[in-house]
Parts: sequence; structure tokens; C-alpha cells
Amino acid sequence: MTSSPPPSSHSPTTTAPAVKADHLIKHFGDLEVLKGVSLEVPEGTVTSIIGASGSGKSTLLRCMNLLERPDQGELAIADETIRFTRNPQGDIIDLDRRQLQRLRAKVTMVFQQFNLWPHLSVLGNVIEAPMRVKGLSRKRATALGEHYLERVGMADRRDAYPGFLSGGQQQRVAIARALAMEPRLLLFDEPTSALDPERVNEVLGVIRGLADEGRTMLLVTHEMHFAREVSDQLVYLDQGRIAASGTPEDVFDDPRCRQFMAPAA
Amino acid sequence: MDFSWLSDPFYQGYLWEGFINTLWLLAVSAVGGLILAVGVAMARLRGPRPLAWLAWAFTTVIRGTPLLVQLFFFYYGVGRLLEGLPGIRDSMFWPLLRDPFFFAALTFILSVGAYSGEVIRGAMQSVPRGELEAGRAFGLSGFQVLYRLWLPRAIQLCLPTLTGEMILLLKSVPLVSTIALMDLLQAANIIRDETFLVYEPLLLIAGIYLATTIVLTLVLRLVELNFPGMRPTRRRWLPIR
Ligand SMILES: Nc1ncnc2c1ncn2[C@@H]1O[C@H](COP(=O)(O)OP(=O)(O)O)[C@@H](O)[C@H]1O
Ligand SMILES: [Mg+2]
Repeated sequence: MTSSPPPSSHSPTTTAPAVKADHLIKHFGDLEVLKGVSLEVPEGTVTSIIGASGSGKSTLLRCMNLLERPDQGELAIADETIRFTRNPQGDIIDLDRRQLQRLRAKVTMVFQQFNLWPHLSVLGNVIEAPMRVKGLSRKRATALGEHYLERVGMADRRDAYPGFLSGGQQQRVAIARALAMEPRLLLFDEPTSALDPERVNEVLGVIRGLADEGRTMLLVTHEMHFAREVSDQLVYLDQGRIAASGTPEDVFDDPRCRQFMAPAA
Repeated sequence: MDFSWLSDPFYQGYLWEGFINTLWLLAVSAVGGLILAVGVAMARLRGPRPLAWLAWAFTTVIRGTPLLVQLFFFYYGVGRLLEGLPGIRDSMFWPLLRDPFFFAALTFILSVGAYSGEVIRGAMQSVPRGELEAGRAFGLSGFQVLYRLWLPRAIQLCLPTLTGEMILLLKSVPLVSTIALMDLLQAANIIRDETFLVYEPLLLIAGIYLATTIVLTLVLRLVELNFPGMRPTRRRWLPIR
């Protein structure tokens, strides 16, 4: 694994947060999953979201690239305020498709179930979006793809298909796929939860390396030690509300969070 | 057993023509039918209401009626009806409308469209949602998700079933002998009528069908094995343990 800088990294001097969510509300039918969540991820920092299963962590994360459309609230991603269409009551009813596509190129996601495309090779998975969404030539996308596959230690498997790889290897390819878009913000939804225990560390190692590089990341995880170690900010989500947030030390010392943490400690 | 007629160049000619027509009909129906099948599957899954409804009705009618009846319907029914149109005999379509091959191909394309359409629809539904969501999450457009991710994956999933459909299609071809199209069965019928031998010509074309089926199976198996990303567990030449 190398830790050379990416071919064209963005300037870290911008002061605007990579993402700023204000009072997000999200329902699934009658179920209110997010009950007014405000969250800011400063450029170049790592934020981890922890919380019990069903507390709305994935939903919150998925609002950040608008895989879920919030029902109310404000959202600014990568210096752009999302232009929601609202009804007279102020409920969000639509999105601007062009803006959506542009934003999704800047905020990429690593999924719990990897979600690689099984009919594309490892390299094919990594260059697909750079070519088709960012319009890079195959040559440039391939150079970029090889760079990031190298970065996650998967360069030697570039021609393999996902079905032939272990879970840990697939997740590393998925990380390379997310990096190859050179996003402003990387989202991780429990990236190690679907892995065999002996495969967890190879993926956490890659993510730790990215944190050390100063990449902006928002991470949902159950790996408490890891979250404490890599995060600048920790958010404890409880039944759709932020129950505690701040530095890892603050949150881990918070009595409300202690209770949640008890079984893991 | 008397196979002496095999040396007769006339009979060889019939058999050859029947064989070529069979393969040609198979190829045209497979290509046209699979294109139609993708359209039918799409219409049923994502089409606007009326189109989805139409696709369902089409599928139900084609799958609910015998192929032979459909063949007669198009050749004797629709074909004769079109013949009656004023001026049609002078139009550029006339040679097509007199050709039984045209009606056979039309019937078979519709049949493949209906049967394989259902297969492809099922396969599209069983593509894990996460894979398509990943496409959207990376900014691919709806159309890009469809033709880069959804369709190729669905075809990968149902390729063995489609292979089976193609083999069934091959063995539906003898039906066309009833509309005076020279296929293998038609050739055998002519030989029987002229030589008064019943079993030998039938035995010969059965052998040709069997050999063609085996070759077709192996070729399609090769396609399956070489389809990008095929899982290692499925990588066996013959489906025999
Ligand atoms: N697409 C959906 N439709 C209906 N309910 C959903 C959907 N996605 C999530 N939920 C519900 O929302 C709640 C929060 O889910 P989620 O955000 O996945 O929680 P977490 O990731 O913290 O486990 C759960 O009760 C879940 O059942
Ligand atoms: Mg979750």
C-alpha cells in the first residue's frame, strides 16, 4: 500500500464545511426516522455516527448524497445549497436532477454490502463512474483507477471479477471506486459489518490511512475503538435525534452514551 | 433400413434447404425475439400504466394460446386479410407477404418476446437493489443504470434459462412445415411421399435435430462461461457432476 497523494487533490484551504445539514426531518410512512438532525462535517475532518440499530444512522448518511430525500430541512453539500422544491407547507417534494447528478460526483459512498457490479471487472467497477459521470477518457480513468487500486492494495487483481474476491477485498475495491471520483466527501455505511472478523482489519487499515491523509469522511460504524481513534467528531444518534456530539472523548464520557456503549466496553 | 435415397441430389437439396431455413429462422427469431423480450420486460416493470398493461395482455395471450394456432392465425388469417388490401400487390411489401418465412419469423419472434420477456422480467427483479442504488449513488443517470448495470446483470442471471428457451425454440421449428415452408420435416415428408419410406427420413431428421441441439447447447454454454463475471461455482462445462 502506498500513501502517495492523489493525482489531483482538492485544495484543503476551503473553510466552508464539506456538508452542512440543518434540522433534517425524514419519515417513512408514519415512522419519523430523523427528527430534526443538524450536522456539520468540516473540510478535512472525520465524523463518525454511532447509535443503536434502527436509530436512523443509515438514513442520515443516505440523505447526504440524497439517496434519501429529506422531508424537511436545509442541506448544503460541497459549497452548494441543495435546491429543494417545496410545497406551500414547506415540505420537500422534489429535487433538481442536474444538481443531484453533479453533487453525487462529489460525495461518494461505500456500502455495507459493497454493492460492486458483478459483471464488471475490478478496474471496470472503479472507472465506470469517472468515465460516464465525469466524462474522463478511458485512458485517464484507467490511470486514476490503477492509482486508487494501488492505494487500497488491490492493483494486482484489477482484471478479476468481484465474485472471485473475498469480502475484505471487495470492500477495498469499493473504497477505490469511491476514491476514483475524487470526491469532496466520502460516506461509509458500516463498511466492516458484513465482513468475516478476520477481514475487518484490512478494511479498517485502509480507512485509517485515508483519515491520516486528511480526507473528509462521514462514517457509520459499530467499531467503537476505531471510531474513537480516527474521528475528529463523534455523533451519537438515538431514535432519530442527536443525543450527544463533540470530540470522541466528550461523547464517550457522556452518561447517555455510556449506557449505549456498556455492552461493547 | 433403406437409406439409398440419400444419394439422390434432389433429396439432398431439400434436406439442405430445410436445414438452412431452420437455422435461419432460429437466428432471426432469437435476435428479434430477445430484443422484443427486453422491451416487454421493461414495459411491464417501468412503463407507463397503459404500456405495462398492454405488455401484460400481450404476454398472457401469446403464452395462453398454442404456437401452431398463432402460426395459422398469422399466415392464413392476417396474411390473407392483407392480401385483400387494394394496391398491396404492387407495394414493396408484397414479396414479404407471400413468403411463409415472414409469417413464421413473425410468429416466433412474438413467442420468444412473450416467454423470454417473462424470464428477463424475473431476472431484472432479482438483481440486488443495492447494485442499482450504487449506480445512482455515483451519479449515473437512470438510462445509464439501465443499460450499463441492470440489463447486463439480469441477462447474466437468466442466461441458463434463456439457453433453454432457445433449445425449445429450435424444436418448435417443424411446425412451419404446415405453412409450406421448407424445413427439415417438410423435406422428410416429401421424401416419404416419393419413396414410401416412413421411418428412415424421420430418423435422419431426428438425428440432425439432436446433433444441432447438442452443438447449440455447447455454444450457448460457451457464451455462459465467458459472460463477464460469471460465478466460479457455475463454471462447469457440462451440467453433469
Ligand atoms: N426504505 C425504508 N422504508 C421504510 N422504512 C425504512 C426504510 N429505511 C429505513 N427504514 C426504517 O427507518 C428506521 C431507521 O433505519 P436506518 O436508518 O437504517 O437505521 P440504522 O442504520 O441506524 O440501523 C428503521 O426503523 C427502519 O426500519
Ligand atoms: Mg444502517
